[in-house]
Amino acid sequence: MKKNICCFLLACFVAAVAAGCAGTADKKVSDSMAAARHPELTDQEKLTPCAACHRDITPEIYQQWYDSRHGLGKVKCFQCHGTYENFRVSPDETSCAACHNAQFQHAAKGKRCWDCHPAHGFVAHR
Amino acid sequence: MGLSRREFIKRTAALTAASYVGMNLPLKEENRAQASDVDGWHRGVCRLCGTGCRVELGVKGGKAVALRGVTGSRTNMGYLCMKGMLFYRLMGHPERLTKPLYRASKKDSFKEISWDEALDIASREFARAVRKYGNDSVAYYGSGQALTEETYLFQKVMRAGLQTNNVEGNPRLCMASAVGGYITSFGADEPIGSYANIEKAKCFFIIGSNTAEAHPVLFRRIMRRKLDHKDEVKVINADPRVSPTSRIADMHLQFMPGTDLALLHSMAWVIIDEGLTDREFTEKYAVFRVGKDKKQVDFDTYKKFLDDYTPEKASRICGGNITPDKIRTVARWFAKSGGTVSLWTMGINQRKRGVWANNLIHNLHIITGQLCKPGADSLSLTGQPNACGGVREGGGLCHILPAHRLVKKDKLRHQVEDLWGVPRGRIPPKPGYHTMAMFTAVNQGKIKAMWVNCTSPAQSLPNCDLYNKGLAREDFFLVVTDIFPTRTTEYANLILPTAFHFEKTGVYGCTERRSQLTRKAVNAPGDAKPEVWIVREWAKRLSRDLNDPVIATTVKPFDGLEEDYELPEAIWNEYTQKLTRGRDNDLSGATYRVLSRMDDGVQWPAPTEEFALQGGTVIKFVKGYDPLATKHSKDENPYQFYGPAHPDRKLWVWLRPHKGPEEMPDSEYPFYLSTGRVIDHWHTSSMTGRIIELMRSNPYAYVEINPADAQRLGIKPGDMVEVESRRGSNLLPAKVYEGPVKGMVFVYWYDQAESRMINKVTKDAYDPGSKEPEFKICACRIRRVSGPRPLKPFLVQMKG
Repeated sequence: MKKNICCFLLACFVAAVAAGCAGTADKKVSDSMAAARHPELTDQEKLTPCAACHRDITPEIYQQWYDSRHGLGKVKCFQCHGTYENFRVSPDETSCAACHNAQFQHAAKGKRCWDCHPAHGFVAHR
Repeated sequence: MGLSRREFIKRTAALTAASYVGMNLPLKEENRAQASDVDGWHRGVCRLCGTGCRVELGVKGGKAVALRGVTGSRTNMGYLCMKGMLFYRLMGHPERLTKPLYRASKKDSFKEISWDEALDIASREFARAVRKYGNDSVAYYGSGQALTEETYLFQKVMRAGLQTNNVEGNPRLCMASAVGGYITSFGADEPIGSYANIEKAKCFFIIGSNTAEAHPVLFRRIMRRKLDHKDEVKVINADPRVSPTSRIADMHLQFMPGTDLALLHSMAWVIIDEGLTDREFTEKYAVFRVGKDKKQVDFDTYKKFLDDYTPEKASRICGGNITPDKIRTVARWFAKSGGTVSLWTMGINQRKRGVWANNLIHNLHIITGQLCKPGADSLSLTGQPNACGGVREGGGLCHILPAHRLVKKDKLRHQVEDLWGVPRGRIPPKPGYHTMAMFTAVNQGKIKAMWVNCTSPAQSLPNCDLYNKGLAREDFFLVVTDIFPTRTTEYANLILPTAFHFEKTGVYGCTERRSQLTRKAVNAPGDAKPEVWIVREWAKRLSRDLNDPVIATTVKPFDGLEEDYELPEAIWNEYTQKLTRGRDNDLSGATYRVLSRMDDGVQWPAPTEEFALQGGTVIKFVKGYDPLATKHSKDENPYQFYGPAHPDRKLWVWLRPHKGPEEMPDSEYPFYLSTGRVIDHWHTSSMTGRIIELMRSNPYAYVEINPADAQRLGIKPGDMVEVESRRGSNLLPAKVYEGPVKGMVFVYWYDQAESRMINKVTKDAYDPGSKEPEFKICACRIRRVSGPRPLKPFLVQMKG
């Protein structure tokens, strides 16, 4: 189980790095991240809201989210990243389209949403 | 960054107080299809809160696989909350009710039966009760989540068929006080303005509403307005509990529960004292009234009445963080903004004096002229998707007939009888039992058969253990129509499986007088059927069993129609073309043809298709915007308050004295208890609890305790705490934070677990005018029982 936690922390680190440099990440890295899974947790642990742990494990990401419009509006982690069974470090962009469909349809080809709107802070274009 | 497993478990234990035993929360591969994979998108409206978000359902291979917002919609501008994104999972959920289930005795197990058998039994039992105990021994208890066509047809069969006004619904528990407020202040039910005012407002006065969690998409609009105009726009949040809504507030007014009437009067006092009233508006359009006999008084009398609520006096009544300076500041913001929108929900409505609290908010808008103009409105937010459209407008309460007609008015009752083609005198002149009286009558054995549709009173009534004794009676026959097992199906004799949203066709009418059509896009599972089909077929059997051809007359116009579109359209046509035409909620232009073409439906009044195709009426009572204001104009004034309840065509400013709650804390029960929603769950969680992300996000109810109280009582986060009132108790994990004001605890009400159903503890006192219960305030005591204990989420499952 210790190994699982290490994997979990590693995945969080990857996610944090990805959030910070998504704009420069190449496709290969991106695919690798998208395929990453959240480390296994017990059913009990899965009842813990994501933010409850990530507040401490990835405090910068948590703070970016908390201060963002998503944070104010209580758009929660699972809405973009899924839950444990369908967890994605790098969200599928169609989850953005659930609320931002017009922007999604008109976005520049080859660009992902967070290439221009930094992940978790979601401020205006970079 | 490092976190040992021990620390991880310690933290999660503190937060969840739980170890977890398996639970059926399926997340199948087919439910994870991405939006880009769909065969097509089907337009409709969200199934959950009363905002009326326009959505599109993605369907692939005949199955629902995704939801997204409609960008062009004036309700949500494309945004959805997590519930709105995920409710498609409920279509085809493995725990859906798919077969009619019956048991003669509540001690027996349920057995699957055919629809023919089920409808025969439902008819036989209602007919037996009517023959033996009279027409008022049967009742219908419906829902603000039922489609308008469903509520309309149920009440038609009950009133004109079974000749009883025992027609009620759960909106009595949430918005009846708002109805009373609008009628007594403005002369007509439902808001004057629209959400469109949010983008024009300079001040938001949010009182008794955790908008961020209960109406997340509207909150998003308010938040955007505030963040984009930080200095120009003020947000006032008034609530005994600091909530996520408070995060955007310039000032949070944290008063002690039940003291807000004094706060509102005090704001009025400041506005008058500092000369901030709109004298021209007030002189032209308002009068001042007091007492049961609605005695008219002058402005000076009102001013003198307010002297009991100077900021100094009111701050002493309100307690909490309220100071005279704060009252003065918010009163100035409110009056001088150039556009103030007030928003409230259950913190104002679910009160012993809920109507009065509504009146006092309206008072502020009337005396400052903050009505009928861009950026200004007194906007009661509705909690359910069709409490306004179906129940308030469709005749779903015991005292009202369709299109805002009062049962007790002979002329209006006879209008309805004539329009329905039934003999005059068929609808009884006396209103039926209101909700709390209805369930009291069940307890007393006066009601022998009841139909509960799309709601769960066994969990949602205040002091529910008392009323569940009645539901458990063997001489009481209960039919429940629903999509999942609930606490109420546990008391049923007959459970009828119904089609869910997008599995049938019909209209929802949201907070801002807006009606929107949702067309069937996927098939219901198993033998589940639309309610309109169920009622029609039941009525035909009632006519046979009671040998009463008039009952069959009530559904004759709909006989033989295909159930997925033709039938609901015919019912909608009868309701809108016959019943609403010429009334203040005229929807005769909002035909299915028009509604199908609109991005976001139609706001009434909309008397013609041509007008409806422009979206309908954005602001009521304003000539040039509201066709009825032009039609009913009596003078040169731009505003025409033609509401049916005010023959003087005036807005009424009320002199209502401050009154506290029914039950105050005392030495035995020293805390205030209040209850409310979380963003992840809807009502009794029978739906949201079955969506894995939502259940995990909030797996069970907590009791929120102020840190000062927790420290004094030795309660730590995650400790198990007993919350006990004179009526019952809960055992809940503690959440300790600066949310509730000191001396108050707060509990979420969605949890179905026996030990965490907070309505066992709440009080069933109710407003004497609106008959809405005071869920929001009662007295309780709390004590630490133990440290964290194993807990698991709970949902009622079908047995036997």
